[in-house]
Amino acid sequence: MIVVLQSFGLIAQEKEKKEVSETFAAVRIINGHSTETLKKRQFRYIIAHRFGDALGDLGGIQTAFGFDNAADIRFGFDFGITDNLMIGFSRLKGTGDPYRSLLEGSVKYRFLTQTENNSMPVSVSYAGSMYATYMPSSESISSVTNFERFSHRLMYGSQLTIARKLHPRLSVALMPTYVHRNKVEATDVNGLFSIGGAARIRVSKRIGLIAEYFYNIHDSSIREDYKNSLGLAMEWLTNGHTFTINLTNARGFGELQYVALTTSDWLEGQFRLGFSITRTFSY
Amino acid sequence: MKKSFLLLLLVSVIVSLGFMLNQKRIKVLVESVHELDSLSVVSVEHQFGEPLPNHYMGKYDADLAEIGAQLIHEGKASYGDKNGKLISSYFKCTDCHNLVKETAKLTNLDPQDRLDYLVENGLPFTAGSTFFGIYNRSTYYNDDYYKKYGSLVNAAKDTLANAIQLCAEYCASGRKLVDWELNAILHYFKKHELRLRDLNLSDNQKEIILKALQEDKNQAEALEIIKGKYVHRYGATFTGAKIEKERGYGENGDIKNGEKIYKAACMYCHENARVTYLDLNDDVLSGKFLWKHRKGYDDLSIYQVVRWGTYPIAGRKQYMPLFPKEKMSDKQLEDLMAYIKKLAKK
Repeated sequence: MIVVLQSFGLIAQEKEKKEVSETFAAVRIINGHSTETLKKRQFRYIIAHRFGDALGDLGGIQTAFGFDNAADIRFGFDFGITDNLMIGFSRLKGTGDPYRSLLEGSVKYRFLTQTENNSMPVSVSYAGSMYATYMPSSESISSVTNFERFSHRLMYGSQLTIARKLHPRLSVALMPTYVHRNKVEATDVNGLFSIGGAARIRVSKRIGLIAEYFYNIHDSSIREDYKNSLGLAMEWLTNGHTFTINLTNARGFGELQYVALTTSDWLEGQFRLGFSITRTFSY
Repeated sequence: MKKSFLLLLLVSVIVSLGFMLNQKRIKVLVESVHELDSLSVVSVEHQFGEPLPNHYMGKYDADLAEIGAQLIHEGKASYGDKNGKLISSYFKCTDCHNLVKETAKLTNLDPQDRLDYLVENGLPFTAGSTFFGIYNRSTYYNDDYYKKYGSLVNAAKDTLANAIQLCAEYCASGRKLVDWELNAILHYFKKHELRLRDLNLSDNQKEIILKALQEDKNQAEALEIIKGKYVHRYGATFTGAKIEKERGYGENGDIKNGEKIYKAACMYCHENARVTYLDLNDDVLSGKFLWKHRKGYDDLSIYQVVRWGTYPIAGRKQYMPLFPKEKMSDKQLEDLMAYIKKLAKK
């Protein structure tokens, strides 16, 4: 009897506060973090590539539209600690512009989840990442990769993602982001703010189209060579696998690289094909 | 000679004492009808000449039964200084089994009445049988379960402990239980064994049982009354996937009833991808996805997976259990298809 009463109570509670699921398909939208997290005791392996420029000076037929070059490569693991908290470790090749051989550690926590009755209209997560490069220090004193101190090798990214599933077929997200580097060029800023926006349209249960853009906020007299990151993607879900094929001008992975260090320009053909394959396991 | 006589005497005294004590343990003493309610069905039946089940235990240990409850609900528990490990990373007992009765009248096995009762009580429409009264059953993995588990069923079909182990290791894609875990679950089952109050006995029937207990009269009649009041075995008929030309694709299905099944059965596991990677909602995308896979016999076809389930594979050991005919009727499956068709806006 008690069990029956308990289940009554639980079901009643669930109906009031039924959480919205599948706002995005994966824990990342294209480059930015979605509000999705792994569930408790899930483990995810990621292999992701960004190829070279598809068109422009370095693209075209000579490089098989960028396939000959790898702008960045990510190998990583994510672990679900609770249904709302996950941690991840990745090794990034780094674009070499300026960093190579990056290690990334990240924590993501979803502290609000959108509910069907709109008592909570949005899902909100925070993702913090820390990057360390183990590339050799440059001998040129003027270079940002001349690491006088160990702290010069460290970079940080913080991203708040506010997402809402507006319709079974449409989800949107806003991503205020802050990237901090301990050592930057004279024409750059240590702390860079950026505001990202993304939308995902689901063509079917398993196929979706995504657009994502980051607008960097800084004085126009600095960071003249840098561009904002724009990505377009198609995703395909299967049981446990997610495949994402994307086109983006950002060369590198991680808030550090795609927000703060994107120099490629879509209009000059400097966009690339990228893909990520993830496989989720339970343990 | 004298010594052997004394020895013989001693042995006979011990044996008769043991026999008397044993009788006393089992003998059920009642003075009035009101005392009947809390009596254990197994003990009363035994007094009327029924053999005890092979998992019989005199009484349960409340602490162990509590640990058993934890294992059933959460999939792991700690015992003394022993730290528990998950039995299965993929399933908990309660993903496939309810713990309470599933129809108002215990002997009613009609799948539609079961659905109505479960929905009314906010319970899931599971593919497995309830644990309620499992202590009073003596056969498990009945009928067609051998088609799925082959000779693994041999040891499990008449022994509750082996049935639990088969479920933990194979059905839940987990591991064998260690002794104390198995024991804890058995104590939980003992704690929740059927008592006479669960059987909806009429006053007249109670009187007959009382008389039979007090005066040892009409015991056969009393036993028959009790045995006719609960389920001794759950049948399992695997119908297999309907061939395509026999499928109704929801043509004459009852959409409202289908919605009940979708919400109480499909969504119980698939909502927010709770025990699977396939996330289902009651939206048009889920509807279109399921409707698209109405044909064929693959692991996405509704007719196939409801009747055969899916199989655990390396790296993805979550799988879907199958619904025997006794748990979901062909009509209910058509009702479900009718709802999916509506969801898909077809």
